[in-house]
Amino acid sequence: MTLLEALQQFVTECNQNERLREMNRDWSRRIQLEPDDTQHLHWLVSDEGLVSAGEGPVDNPDMLIQAPEEILTAIFSGEMTPTEPYNAGDLLVRGQQDDIMRLDILTLLIWGE
Amino acid sequence: MQNSLSRVLPLRTAVSTSAGLASAAVNFLAAVEVAEYAGGQSAWLAILVAGVLIVFAGSNFSELNGLFPSAAAIRVWIRRGVNDQVSLVSSFVYMFTVVFVIAADAFVLGHTFSRAIPAIPALLWILAILALVTWSNSRGIKVAGAVQDTNAFVLLGTLMLFSLMVLARTRHLGQFHYFHLGSNWFEAIALGIFIFVGFEWVTPLAEEFQDFRAIPRGMYIALGLIAVAFGLFSLALTVAFPHVHLLAHSFVPQLLVGMKAMGKFGFWWMAFVTLTTAMTTFNGGLLSASRFVYALAREKALPSWFSRLNGRLVPQNALMTLAGTSFVLAIVVYFTGQYLFLINAGAGVESFMYALSSWLVISLRRRDPKRARPFHAFGYPVVPVIMGVIFLGLGVEALLTPTGPSGFPWSLVFFAVLLVLMVIYVLVAIPRLKEKKPGLGQVSKGSKGV
Repeated sequence: MTLLEALQQFVTECNQNERLREMNRDWSRRIQLEPDDTQHLHWLVSDEGLVSAGEGPVDNPDMLIQAPEEILTAIFSGEMTPTEPYNAGDLLVRGQQDDIMRLDILTLLIWGE
Repeated sequence: MQNSLSRVLPLRTAVSTSAGLASAAVNFLAAVEVAEYAGGQSAWLAILVAGVLIVFAGSNFSELNGLFPSAAAIRVWIRRGVNDQVSLVSSFVYMFTVVFVIAADAFVLGHTFSRAIPAIPALLWILAILALVTWSNSRGIKVAGAVQDTNAFVLLGTLMLFSLMVLARTRHLGQFHYFHLGSNWFEAIALGIFIFVGFEWVTPLAEEFQDFRAIPRGMYIALGLIAVAFGLFSLALTVAFPHVHLLAHSFVPQLLVGMKAMGKFGFWWMAFVTLTTAMTTFNGGLLSASRFVYALAREKALPSWFSRLNGRLVPQNALMTLAGTSFVLAIVVYFTGQYLFLINAGAGVESFMYALSSWLVISLRRRDPKRARPFHAFGYPVVPVIMGVIFLGLGVEALLTPTGPSGFPWSLVFFAVLLVLMVIYVLVAIPRLKEKKPGLGQVSKGSKGV
């Protein structure tokens, strides 16, 4: 699975879940994903409850996420919780802590513990 | 990461967070204890020396923070620099330090308000304020950054102003021995470390700053402000009340300085500042510690029960457990009056953490030499080695300092028991937790919007 495929799966899970859409209604954010090995940029945008993703840079990001592409793919496909690489220093995030926690909660609610 | 973020924190917040987290209400009592061991008026010098030593620890934290700017901070640094088990044990002990500081601040708050308004029992004050902060945390209500910012500067500004007023009103200032080093001066420095405890807890905010240099700058400015404010406070206290040992049982030295400076207004202003300081300690401590417990539960280092969220996406079980533990500890401390035990244990744990920061700087330079370091620790490798040894010695000294008339170092026993329990937990319980079949992520029923 590529990172883009993983992101698209993540987007589908978010948008098909009515409770998540409701939860994210007041959470509009632009997230830039920066694989530090391939440098192949991707983005994730949450806009009034609806999530979308794609390749390339995003303007004025609220959050920057940096990790090897393999780890980013594993996180957004649900194979790995973000906490494990985060606590190991393999996943670096820049942005507000509430947003970082919100992203972790989304993965928790979609894929469980 | 080269891209710029749309919302970032300013340097002012780095300063106020570092100063605010270090400026707990229990620091007033710590200043009295430092003065007792320093032998009187030279307490300011012990606090200044402790502050200068901590600048070097700050330099270590700055390098580690630039290397891995993460809210998981010590969890990441120790895992990378030593191993996962040591990282978990240290993280748990560090988390308990937050609970100690909350309990100690509750003790000071209770005594302050039972003195100001005797009709209301101290325990009721402690319960009411802790419950209010816990409730607002559980509702996802955050103390606005501006309020948190303001409180740190108001506290430190008040201490400086009131202390200077007391000094200005004291006659025959020349009669005192400001540079007299008593026989327990090393203990005084060891306990002086406690005044600065928590200055480095600004590092978990690294992700919210655009410029990595803001954290080191913020820490250094905060250390300077704390050293000046509490140095002046200890000086005013020891000059106004030369028989320091009599102050140890007043539990409200800040109110006495307030009275000396500005009479009744000074008394009530200090009571107000104590209240806001304790509330920001409770708020900051519970907020950060509950998120930390949540993260540990997410990686299965704690039971998944701690990762349960309420409808406002707050880790409710983690928050309630921490608040409950703090309250129980505060009650025990209040009835036994053993607050020195918390100060000594806190100073010991932090000194060991500062010693460990030296080890981590050296270890990570060897293990990960090519990784970008926006900030380099002072005088590597000689200074980190010397500082590591000094902080190790200060930590042992703080734990060996007696907590009562018997002269027995209960803080050392407490620390040893806590350490052994954490080691057993990490080596025995966590592997079993990680073997368990994963369950589903939970959010409480009836939650808003989920």
